[in-house]
Amino acid sequence: MNSDQMNQHSGGKIPVNLILSNLAKDAEKARTRVEKASDVLLDELDTQIAATPYETVHQEDRVKLKHYKPEGELKIKTPLLLVYALINRETMLDLQPGKSVVEKFQKSGVNLYMIDWGYPTRKDRYLTIDDHVNGYIGEMVDFIMAREKVKQVNLMGICMGGSFCVMYAALNPGKIKNLITTVTPTHFDTDQGLLHVWMKNLDVDRLLQGYGNMPGDLMNFGFLLLNPARLMIDKYVGFMENIDNKAFVQDFVRMEKWIFDSPDVPGETFRQFIKDCYHKNLLIQNKMVIGGRRIDLKKITMPLLNYYGIYDHLVPPAACEQLTSAVGSKDTQDMSLKTGHIGIYVSSRCQQEFTPKIVKWLMERDQPLKAVRKRTTRKKTAAKAAITKKTAVKKPVTKKTATKKTVSPRKMTKKLKGDQ
Amino acid sequence: MDDKQQTEKDQPFQFDGWMKTSTAFFESMGKMWTDAYKTAGIAPNVRKSEMQESWETGMKTWQSLYSALSDSSSTDNFDKSAAMLPDIVMKMVQNGISGFLNIQNQWLQKAERVGQSTKAYSFENLDQNVFKAWQELYDKEFKQFLNVPQLGLTREYQERMNRLTDQFNQFQSVTAEFLYLLNQPMEKSFKVLQKELGVMADEEKLPDKSKDYYQMWIKILEGHYMKLFQSPEYIQSLSNTLGVLGDFTAARHKMVEDLLQMMPIPTQTDMDELYKEIYLLKKRIKVLEKQNTS
Repeated sequence: MNSDQMNQHSGGKIPVNLILSNLAKDAEKARTRVEKASDVLLDELDTQIAATPYETVHQEDRVKLKHYKPEGELKIKTPLLLVYALINRETMLDLQPGKSVVEKFQKSGVNLYMIDWGYPTRKDRYLTIDDHVNGYIGEMVDFIMAREKVKQVNLMGICMGGSFCVMYAALNPGKIKNLITTVTPTHFDTDQGLLHVWMKNLDVDRLLQGYGNMPGDLMNFGFLLLNPARLMIDKYVGFMENIDNKAFVQDFVRMEKWIFDSPDVPGETFRQFIKDCYHKNLLIQNKMVIGGRRIDLKKITMPLLNYYGIYDHLVPPAACEQLTSAVGSKDTQDMSLKTGHIGIYVSSRCQQEFTPKIVKWLMERDQPLKAVRKRTTRKKTAAKAAITKKTAVKKPVTKKTATKKTVSPRKMTKKLKGDQ
Repeated sequence: MDDKQQTEKDQPFQFDGWMKTSTAFFESMGKMWTDAYKTAGIAPNVRKSEMQESWETGMKTWQSLYSALSDSSSTDNFDKSAAMLPDIVMKMVQNGISGFLNIQNQWLQKAERVGQSTKAYSFENLDQNVFKAWQELYDKEFKQFLNVPQLGLTREYQERMNRLTDQFNQFQSVTAEFLYLLNQPMEKSFKVLQKELGVMADEEKLPDKSKDYYQMWIKILEGHYMKLFQSPEYIQSLSNTLGVLGDFTAARHKMVEDLLQMMPIPTQTDMDELYKEIYLLKKRIKVLEKQNTS
């Protein structure tokens, strides 16, 4: 039966001839692709991650402090400390030359430090959030201040690392000049993200009794289950379609290297994070206690820049955006980008605005205190106008909007959307 | 069946003859033993070996039993019992088969229900009864045997082994349910795709590129997963699976520790105790260091 006969056979509704000819073309393309793929895969591939040169300047247990010397002129006097999450590794910020957050900071004249949490083992199972926040982060901050002979550092946190930075800044406001939180959960009582829904029902004690630490592979499996259609099927279909493209393959393998490089999370830290944050939502309510000290977000009085992704399914906007109104700082700013959890750091589009914006924001605040005060006053006026405009819009008063209205008009809360 | 076979079948069980033959055999065995002593030149007054004494005691008991059973009424009873034996065995087998068929029937009914189609993009009230039925069956019929109190020196080891078996079964059960749920979007997405393609074919709007079909399917699949993941059934199943995984892992570790204790290898509990001591000591040292420097 030829294709015309097939068309007739199907009543002419299905373009069988066209479908078959396209299938034949696809098959031919696939054959050529596979031929080329073997050349690509057998060739030497550059898939190294974390290639930006650094020096390990300090180490406490398994936790290392990496120092990236600024290239050229130092533009921001205060050193910046990056704190990554305990889930996955900080190498995500330095995936590939040319598309590296770390490299961009370095080239922008930022004196950059970054914590490498290493790989916790069974012996680390008793480490609590307090040990990470007041212990390791505190130790690194003190070390940087002594090394650089400064009285304050800039602190930037990523995801869970951001939550740790919020805790540290609230407990040690005098040591932090500026605080930057990126995709940082602080309000956990939301049903916006699947992770939040699932974590509410997790019996963390039962899980940890067998494992001690929270296994990285188990967490990764959980993350894959957040969207199996895309993360377990479509992603690899995409890979097969581009398997003859060396640059694509290299990027893909780099991402795979990072995504499945998952250290275990110390058991007690994981337990406390799930119970105090996901189950009880204590942090945003100023009720969380670590090391015997209550975390009062109103003590965060330094400037705060809060970045999050609109399409983030792990830490949704609802989990991030309440922070700016909960802190005591008068200089706060929410920044949302039209991307997901990882896109903020790795997508080419976001990279063009993410790091430069942070550098600019830090430079504006890396001045003598007098100048900062003047600028804050100017922005406060702008904020007043914005809030007045907001309240003029008639909206049904929900609990959330009511909370927003209670925000002091003195606050500098400026929401900039990603498309702006 | 020939006449000879029929005659043999009609004859009652020759219990008396069998007893006589057995007794004669064991008596001659005992005699052989005594003769062997004599041949070896061992005096009859020399103390008998323990084994020979046991043998002779056993023979005496056997002979008493024989005389009791040789009584005509006992023989009759025995014959009757022997005749009833096939009936008893048959009844036991029948009960067993009937129970098994009952379970099988329940399973088949449940399996049928699993096969029944559920609405697309809907994961509420999914028939997970088959898993619940298995769980109930396991809890009522099997688990109780694993909970029977163990006795004696190896009591604790046996209890840990039973606990591991129990946890393994629980884990298998909840994992099966979890995997069943995860598979649902796959099945449903293909059905929805077929329907959509039917509609498109009717409207003469079928895509001509294979990639378009794939894109359609992956979107449908993603939608189904998103819906599933928010359903209370899935959330409960995920929570159960992780909880039971933790229980099973803990039970397995305990079992491994029993084996390790026999070898000069520290167990995880030993190491955890050590880790905790190190952790606490390090904290104390840090506090002391700070006090010293300030």
